Parts: sequence; structure tokens; C-alpha cells
Amino acid sequence: MATTKVPEVRDITRIERIGAHSHIRGLGLDDALEPRQVSQGMVGQLASRRAAGVILEMIKDGHIAGRAVLIAGQPGTGKTAIAMGIAQSLGTDTPFTALSGSEIFSLEMSKTEALSQAFRKAIGVRIKEETEIIEGEVVEIQIDRPATGTGAKVGKLTLKTTEMETIYDLGNKMIESLCKEKVQAGDVITIDKATGKISKLGRSFTRARDYDAMGAQTQFVQCPEGELQKRKEVVHTVSLHEIDVINSRTQGFLALFSGDTGEIKSEVREQINAKVCEWREEGKAEIIPGVLFIDEVHMLDMECFSFLNRALESDLSPVLIMATNRGITRIRGTNYQSPHGIPIDLLDRLLIIATSPYTEKETRQILKIRCEEEDVELSEEAHTVLTRIGMETSLRYAIQLISTAGLVCRKRKGTEVQVEDIKRVYSLFLDEARSSQYMKEYQDSFLFHETQTAKMDTS
Amino acid sequence: MAVQSWLDNVKSSKKTALIHDGKRKIHYLFSDGKEMAEEYDLKTDELIVRKWRHKSALGGQGQWQVEVGEALASPGTSLDSQGIKENCSNPVFSRKDTKTCFQWRIRNLPYPKDVFSVSVEPSERCIIIKTSNKKFYKKFSIADLDRSQLPLDSSALSFTHTNNTLIVSYKKPKQILTLEQELLKELKKLKGTGEGDVDCKTQ
Repeated sequence: MATTKVPEVRDITRIERIGAHSHIRGLGLDDALEPRQVSQGMVGQLASRRAAGVILEMIKDGHIAGRAVLIAGQPGTGKTAIAMGIAQSLGTDTPFTALSGSEIFSLEMSKTEALSQAFRKAIGVRIKEETEIIEGEVVEIQIDRPATGTGAKVGKLTLKTTEMETIYDLGNKMIESLCKEKVQAGDVITIDKATGKISKLGRSFTRARDYDAMGAQTQFVQCPEGELQKRKEVVHTVSLHEIDVINSRTQGFLALFSGDTGEIKSEVREQINAKVCEWREEGKAEIIPGVLFIDEVHMLDMECFSFLNRALESDLSPVLIMATNRGITRIRGTNYQSPHGIPIDLLDRLLIIATSPYTEKETRQILKIRCEEEDVELSEEAHTVLTRIGMETSLRYAIQLISTAGLVCRKRKGTEVQVEDIKRVYSLFLDEARSSQYMKEYQDSFLFHETQTAKMDTS
Repeated sequence: MAVQSWLDNVKSSKKTALIHDGKRKIHYLFSDGKEMAEEYDLKTDELIVRKWRHKSALGGQGQWQVEVGEALASPGTSLDSQGIKENCSNPVFSRKDTKTCFQWRIRNLPYPKDVFSVSVEPSERCIIIKTSNKKFYKKFSIADLDRSQLPLDSSALSFTHTNNTLIVSYKKPKQILTLEQELLKELKKLKGTGEGDVDCKTQ
């Protein structure tokens, strides 16, 4: 019976955290790529969503390499949300790599190396590989937890085929995944030995009883024949970067010092490109161009932009999506001004999608979706007040107030957030405009204040 | 014919020999990137270990696959990193050749002899061990015969059961015996570096 108790314990400890864009489930388009007003967590921005839908189709086709898209718009108009929507609609099979423009500045790696790695992470290769799998019917599964409550669990799994029977010792990870899959005696399962992935094939016919209660989706299968361990060809997707790493690792004791990645020599990359192309021609592998998303792209400097220019011309290049909230500003690393802080020659290669500020109705709708996501109930008046706040200050600030107001409401043992709760948190937390105002009034009493240079310098 | 091609293949491979611990250890690197390592007893010239390593499809270094001898648990493959491992009470399968026979030993089989049936499946080029109590089943091929493309013969097969161990023997055909002798002569010509660490040029 111990086996049935364990998953309950785990479910309690695993609460998914709510991120800024966790309500986004797709782009919210219908089959004709027409955007729905409110769908899959997306609200408004019809034109830009439609444009993103066209891009999405292009990515799904997978024929066109090295296209770049720029999503430009004011802060808080859903640029990142659109990129997330694209990622969600692509599904798990297409690689989607997201990074922020400032992530590439590292002391251990050159900027261009970091960018090349990001590019190569966004290209998937689907390839057949032989792996060892264990396939059998579960005879018995036994998991012992230590009496003290702490320490490692010990598990044993007995599997059989029509011809043989074997007992396996289980590691901690395997115990957890067996519990998560709710594997019981009588199930026919396969375990991938290399990755530890478990898949349930169904229930064994010999365990079928008339009086057993089971779901409609329960399938009955025959007990496997022959040996328990088999070699099987499986198709899986790896990124070009992963192949790079596997092949660049220096052999012998040197691997200890070189670490996992580090700089990968361009010769290795060229070799691998050639090899992958060879595999593709032989039909052994399939190339899946994915998406590289660079947020805050204005943080890149001139060298990076010129690298991008070159990298986009390669035929093994993913679709590049960038987002920025800057207007005409200085290009980092130069003294020139340019729209979005991106050099004109790169801008010329981009398809630009613009996002526009949300209307009051849309803001209201977004706040409603976020309330559902964060599990906060809002009264009608409070909702109106919050929408006003969202319009006058910023959408992000209004969203911040949802969870804080929810907390205040719970403290006074209310079930629904009222206007008072909103007022309370509005007075507790300053928004950007009020904070600036406060600064202007009281800056003399702050340390290191400088009255003259109020302009922010980004580079 | 095929016997000759395998012999040529071995002869043309890059070899490094080392004498250590009373054993002659040889590392082979074949032209297709496969690696083979063998260990022979210095006194009796018996083959103790033979293992293979292939490059994986993506170019990574694979694990050593033991063909002859006992598989040693390599460091870093603990239960937690691997997730699943056969219990030590399970039958252990290993190959240990004698001068005249290929021989397999399966330990931890506490069943009477009449439970077992061992047969040759010439069409699939493998030997099948079955148990009537459905506890153990094993299908394996003889890599030596596969390499030389020699046929399997059911009359060469025999098995005994003592001390919870099932011993399956298959008499080596004449071609294999001559091949092994020739190979051994070749290996003895290799200058085995003495004790201590040596750079393995082929690795």
C-alpha cells in the first residue's frame, strides 16, 4: 500500500509557480490565422498577433532559414507575451531558445561565442539512435521508506516477460517517476535505460477481471515476449549545440579542466555542419530549424549586430525574433543614433511587428485573466479601480497590485478583493510616476544626489 | 574467406601492447573508429577479457561493451545516477573461453538441470537458453563466429549445471582455432612495453 501513498505526498509539495507570462498558452488565432479578441491568454494586439501567426507558419514550414523579426513597442504592450505565445504554439518538438540581450556579456566567453551557442541551441536535429530499453510486465513494486522519515528510499521492481523474470534495484529518481506514473503490478511498461524515461503501454491481459473498475482509456496489452532488455531504435531531437559539446570534449584527463562547454572551436562546428548535412542527405537525420528569441535586443552592441548580420546568412540558422522597447537611441558601442538602437543595415533585414498600447477594455480583460491565473477574486468596483490604475500608471504595476491586494484581502478574512484593499496597497506601494515625483521633492535629503544629470545612461 | 578478412582487419588495425600484472594487454583501433581491448594470460595464453567500444551516432564516446570476461562496474555508475540496475540476486551472464571451447557461465541459477533447455537457432545465428519455470531466458550470438561468418552447429553445443551455475560450451571450429593461433603469433611479435604507465598511441 506504500506505493499508493507516495504520489499524494509529492503532489502537495509540487505547486507550480506563477510567472509573468504563465497565462499565455498560444497566440489565440483561429485556423485562418485570424486573431480572436480574447483567446489562450492573449488580449488585443490583433494586428501584431496576426503578423506573429504568419511568422509562426513560416517557422512551422521550416524551409526558410535566417529570417529575423523585430517586435517593437512601448513597455508593457505584450512583446514578450507574443514571443511566448509563439513558443507555446510551436510545441515541444521545435527548439525555442530565449535569452535576454544582456545575458551574452560574460567574462568566460566572448560575446560572439555566446551568440553562436544560442544560435546552435535553436537548431534541432532529429536523429535515430539505438538505445537499450527494458520492456516487461510489472509483477511487484516495492518501495520502502526509512523509518526515520529522512534518507534515501529503497525500491525494488520485479518485471517479467512470457519467458523470464528479473528483479531490479531502483534509484531515487526512478522511484519518483514510477510513483508519478502510478505504476502498479499488472502494468506493462517500458523504461529507457539511458534517459530513465518510463512509459506505460497498458495493463496485461492476464490481470483483466470483470469486477475491476478502470477508466475508459485503459488499454489491455499482451505480456511482452523474449528477453526483458532489448535494443531499439528511437528517434529523438538534439540541438546542434549538444552535438558540438559531445564532440568538442577533449579526451582523457584534460576533460576535467576544460569543463562542460567553454569555447567551441570553429573547426569542430564546421565538421559537425558537414556531418549533419551528410546525415540529412542520407536520410538519417532531419533538421528542425527553431526559434531564437532575444529580448531587450538594444542591449547588444555593435559587434554583436554585425555578427548577427553574418550569422543570419548561414543556411543553418534559426528564425530570429527580437524584442525591444527603445525608440531612436544610441547604438551600443558607437556614438551613432538609430531607431530601436539597432544599426540600419540590420534593421533592413528585419520584419518589424509593432505593438500598440492597450485600450481600457483590453487592460480590463488582461487584469481579469491575471486574476484567474493568480487565483484572486475581484469585485466589480475593485476591477474598475484597478483598470483605472492600469491605464494611468502602467499595466505591470496594476498586475503587481493583484496579488498584493489579494493578500491584504485574505488577512482581513475577506473572500473578494474590494476597493479598500486596492486603495490600501496603492498607498503602500508607489508606482513609477509617484516614486519619481517623491524623488524630485525630497532628493536633497538623499545621499549622492545629482540634480543635473537626470538622464539615464544605458551603455 | 571471411576468416581471412577478419584476420586482415585485425592485422591492419593500430595496436598498442602492454604487459602488466601477468597479462598481455592489447588495444586495437580499427579504421572505422571502433576500439577493441583484449587481455591474455602470459603463461597460458588464454583470453581473459575482450571488450569493444563504439562511437555513438552523435560522435560521443560510448561505454565499453564486454564480450569476453566479466563486466566491471565502472566508477560513476551508481544506482542514483543510473536510476535502475539489476539486483545482485539475478543471474549473471559472462563468457569465459577455454582453449577448445567458447564457454558461457550463468551464475545465480538455483534450479535443477532439467529445467534448462539450450538450443541453437541457425536462422537467427544465436543460441537460446530457456527455462521451463519461466525464470530465465537469454538469446545471444557468438561474436567470433559472426565476424568470420561461420555457420552454427547444434552438435558442438553442450551444457552442464553445478553449484547454481549453468555452463554452456560450444566447441570452437577448426577455422577459429587456426585463426586464434595465428593471431597469437602476431601479438607476440608486438613489442610489449614493460611495466608502468605508457602512452597509448592508438587511444
